[in-house]
Amino acid sequence: MSAVTPATDVRVTTFVLNGSETTVTVRPRTLLSDALRHDAGVHGTHVGCEQGACGACTVIVDDVARRSCLTLTPQVDGRIVETIESVAGPDGLDPIQQAIHDTHGMQCGFCTPGIVMSLVAARRAGVGQVTAIDEVLDGHLCRCTGYINLRAAIEVAWSGLEVSA
Amino acid sequence: MTLLDPTRSVTRHVGARQERLEDRPFLVGDGRYCDDIDLPGLLHAAIIRSTSPHGIVRAVDVSDLTVPVDLVLGPDEIAAASDPCPIHWILPEQWQTERPLFDGRVRFVGDPIGVVVAADRYLAEDALDEIFVDIEELPAVVGIEAALADTTLLYPDRHTNVMARWTAGDDDEHTDAVFAAADETLTIALRIGRVAGVPMETRAIVVDPGRPGRDGRPEKLTIWTSTQAPHAVRDAVADVCRLPQHRIRVIGPDVGGGFGVKDHAYEDELMVVLAALRLGRPIKWIEDRWESLTTTTQARDERYTVDIAYDRDGTLRGIRVDAVRDSGAYFSIFGAGPLFAMTGTLGGPYRWDAVNSHARAVASTTCPNHSYRGFGQTQATFIRELAVDAVAAELGVDPVELRIQNCITPDEQPYQLRTGPMKYDGGDYPTSLRMAQELTAAWPAPPDDGRRWGVATSIYVQQAGVGPSQGNPHVGLQIGSWESTTLRMERDGTVRAYVGVSSHGQGHATTFAQLIADRLGCEPEQVEIIHSDTDVTPYSAYGTAASRSIAVGGGSAILAAEQLATRLCAIAAELLEAATDDIVLGSGAASVRGTPARSIDIADVANRAWQGWALPAGYDAGLVEHAVYEPPEFTWSYATHTCRVAVDPETGLVEIDRYAVVMDCGTVVNPTIVEGQIHGGVAQGLGPALCEEVVVDETGQPRTTTLLDYLVPTSSLMPDIEIAFQVTPSPHTPGGMKGMGEGGTNGGFSCVVNAVRAALPEVADRLTQTPLTPARVWRALHPDQENP
Repeated sequence: MSAVTPATDVRVTTFVLNGSETTVTVRPRTLLSDALRHDAGVHGTHVGCEQGACGACTVIVDDVARRSCLTLTPQVDGRIVETIESVAGPDGLDPIQQAIHDTHGMQCGFCTPGIVMSLVAARRAGVGQVTAIDEVLDGHLCRCTGYINLRAAIEVAWSGLEVSA
Repeated sequence: MTLLDPTRSVTRHVGARQERLEDRPFLVGDGRYCDDIDLPGLLHAAIIRSTSPHGIVRAVDVSDLTVPVDLVLGPDEIAAASDPCPIHWILPEQWQTERPLFDGRVRFVGDPIGVVVAADRYLAEDALDEIFVDIEELPAVVGIEAALADTTLLYPDRHTNVMARWTAGDDDEHTDAVFAAADETLTIALRIGRVAGVPMETRAIVVDPGRPGRDGRPEKLTIWTSTQAPHAVRDAVADVCRLPQHRIRVIGPDVGGGFGVKDHAYEDELMVVLAALRLGRPIKWIEDRWESLTTTTQARDERYTVDIAYDRDGTLRGIRVDAVRDSGAYFSIFGAGPLFAMTGTLGGPYRWDAVNSHARAVASTTCPNHSYRGFGQTQATFIRELAVDAVAAELGVDPVELRIQNCITPDEQPYQLRTGPMKYDGGDYPTSLRMAQELTAAWPAPPDDGRRWGVATSIYVQQAGVGPSQGNPHVGLQIGSWESTTLRMERDGTVRAYVGVSSHGQGHATTFAQLIADRLGCEPEQVEIIHSDTDVTPYSAYGTAASRSIAVGGGSAILAAEQLATRLCAIAAELLEAATDDIVLGSGAASVRGTPARSIDIADVANRAWQGWALPAGYDAGLVEHAVYEPPEFTWSYATHTCRVAVDPETGLVEIDRYAVVMDCGTVVNPTIVEGQIHGGVAQGLGPALCEEVVVDETGQPRTTTLLDYLVPTSSLMPDIEIAFQVTPSPHTPGGMKGMGEGGTNGGFSCVVNAVRAALPEVADRLTQTPLTPARVWRALHPDQENP
């Protein structure tokens, strides 16, 4: 790999971050996860592997859950990005967050934001409870909980939702 | 020690499913982990690592460097600026009692050689590509057999790769006699694969030298690091980086899991400290996942020859193990301690006439092997329970009934172990097994779907809590194991607890608050738990490890709360003109027992204490209490795990269909949190049983360097778990807690392996190496065929 010249090789990327237009000026190779955390000032998105495997860095881009560690920052130019900071409303926690709390679905909390973002995207897409458990949750690694209470949280959060299985 | 009861308080939070008090920041993305810390002028480090498994470092050549860097700290400068790092567990025949950060050689791929510091991490990694490390290659030593051959020595001034060797339990003569007298004996060869701890947050450190003091060195070096044991890091930095302890402040911010692998300061982290001292500027280093899977200490990787002696009536007579552990390139802080713990807890819940181990730890050119959840007791359970199942199969008896027949009964408690001056502290092991039988009896019959079904049950007794400090040197352990708590009630009646143990997912902010609230008659929300700051919180040599936080740390919290309650009651008694013993605390007030109208607000009592007004004779102003809890004995939690698996004979894939746990960890402070610990522990048991394995090829190159190669369980692998409790409070700890954080791993690992063996009894003798991956199971079923 050849070295880059940091002063000149930067690019302006503008996107909507959690409802506000945001501009970051970073080298094109900068991972979206790093730009969010270190340039855009939202550090709730966590980096667990930079290999696309663990899901801790998941954010929502144009309504689709994406691994921000596998996304280069210029790829979100002109797009809408949502991170964990956007999920709780002024009235309190989102039902998914509340359910994770109520069922003891988190311990150390490092993987939690990514899981919440995947579930928010799934709910928005009308994904049913079975798929949310069998496929969406299965795309995340959690080392503390053994997933059992996270499955319970999904059942709680999905109860009453009008979605297909 | 007498069992304290919260008689001064009318509240009963212990035992309640108190919701966790610490969750909210994590739910909304406001956790404050190491990488969330930013400082003015912060620089970023990357570690120069060996790409060779074994060699002599000739030079670190930076002449091709074009990337702008602030510092390249090479091995010679590191060696000159540092002292060796002490090893805290010294076993028989162990010559390595300390380790220099660099001694001229590299001994595994990833072995740290130096540090490069740049304006950001990307540039620091670019610089790594331009730094050439000239290594004179030496042969790799991979695997226990290669290590034992001593063809290539990792430490040439030693004549062997054996790093430590000891025997444990009954002597050979007695053991031989027991085996000779038994009706039958059976021998099994087992291998347990190497695993990685894989906390979701990798290791991380931010070092701020701050301003120079009058001698030019930092007035106060501040370190934030992702650790289970801030004081252990502080001590290591002092020892290695030549700073007095009072000028080092180590803070554990939010920590994203530990599981044993974050219980000490690592060589690369200490190199980052040296770099920050050199530059006088703050530096951050965040381990990436490749580094985590290749350089964060790993675990297990042991082979055993197990002999078991028994009579035809099912009486277990003796168990004897010859064990070899691949300790990797060097001993980390606790050396071969995990294998020592295996040899000390091998006997488990059974009566034996002989328990005997011969153990060796060997060096190889692989990542150092060290602490991980279970710390050898997972292995002890695996060896023993697999052997007991093998005896049941030989005798054609029900394996659970065989266990019940041989289990220590309650009237034999406290039971003296054969493997050391330790006694079990009570419990009813046969009932644990009977309760598990009842749970499994209710399981519906498995479907007839062409898969092979197997059920297995494992029982363990876990040394938790860690015993008296003064006993540690007798087993080579160079640190104490007491804990302490400082409690301060503020003027408004709210409480701060400064505790020595750390929390990184265990929920101490909730459970410790429950313990304290019950003694002070307040609500858990009124108690703040403060931990992981060496300038503020009490010394703890261990930190959070060894299933000891609630038993030992919690014990000290109870003692401090009892002292504070006594002080509050004495002051209130003076004001209420009653006897101290007649005062009860609750609902924010101190009142006279049986006369609730005679009452005073706790805030009023607290304010008077802080102002120094109307205090009883002998009491100083203020409301601060400090209590030390030194465990007089070990505590021993125990559990039965039972599961049913289905094996697809076409693919070798194992599915865990049913799972139940009967747990006795003494007093259960918060059932929800204990259940969560069981869930996570079982996940870390079944992962290494079925899919987790660190693979290093014969050339010494690691092959499992991503989370797509090193397979941590996902949700689809994890069964639901039925959990039932027995409650036998420990007679030794204030509050009766025993500690249980590692238990799920201990029970889960052997339970799943044994269930697969039970499903495939005709090839069980080929299912003796973990993990039981689909490929291994398939090959056991099809030994004469090529790979599918």
